[in-house]
Amino acid sequence: MARMAHPEAMTPHKKGPTRTAPPMMPGTWWTAPRIRNYLLFGATGFVYMIASFWILRLAWALGSNPQAWASALSELSSPVAIFFNALLLVSVIFVGVRAFWGMMPKMQPRGGPLPVLPAAAVRGAICGLWAVITIFMVVVLTGRLF
Amino acid sequence: MKKLLLIIEPVIWLLFGAGLAIGTMLLTGYAIAVGIVIPLGWVSPEVLDYGRAHALASNFVGRLFLLGLIALPLWKGAHHVRSIALDFGGESRDGVVGTLLYLMAAAGSVGGIIAVIRI
Repeated sequence: MARMAHPEAMTPHKKGPTRTAPPMMPGTWWTAPRIRNYLLFGATGFVYMIASFWILRLAWALGSNPQAWASALSELSSPVAIFFNALLLVSVIFVGVRAFWGMMPKMQPRGGPLPVLPAAAVRGAICGLWAVITIFMVVVLTGRLF
Repeated sequence: MKKLLLIIEPVIWLLFGAGLAIGTMLLTGYAIAVGIVIPLGWVSPEVLDYGRAHALASNFVGRLFLLGLIALPLWKGAHHVRSIALDFGGESRDGVVGTLLYLMAAAGSVGGIIAVIRI
């Protein structure tokens, strides 16, 4: 009776290069909704970076003198600035809905000491926190509080 | 450079995660109030005159909010722009692109710390 073959019997002695091709974005990416949404989610990174540098400019002006602050603040009234900030608002809502609503309930650590919460509880907690912080900031920055 | 990026990856992911979660929460209120409501005149611009803006930003909580608004979205942005560059440009330039983007985020974060201290 022949012996059973060793599962590694055909393995080469030296590990060779993989034949798997490097991942490439398909040329038809724009027609695939899942890839399009994934890329739009990534593209919000450009908007976040520009917004951060803009806020840095505002903070720098605030630390300089009243004239610099007034000048930096008046720039926000230009059509370009208003368009950009509308785009920023759309971007943060898109990121928030995708990340807080879609991803975070699935990202809970499993097998650890903490219980895995129902998706509705995670969504409620994180979206509630998002709403509280947003309302607080709007109320303070528009002069309704403090 | 690619090796260095792999070594610091846990730190990058921590900052990226904070940028995505906390940065998004902070930017929403900023975009509504400072980006749209005040410039469109729905609220008088005097609510952010120098005296009030300085008073809001110069206390500890104000500085912390401002630093979060500057630094955290930068890391989220840098990591996502890197992933877009990786998707379209392949791995060959990832070391250079990733390093440049994270250096920009680091420079902006240091600039943010200095800006917040100057207030």
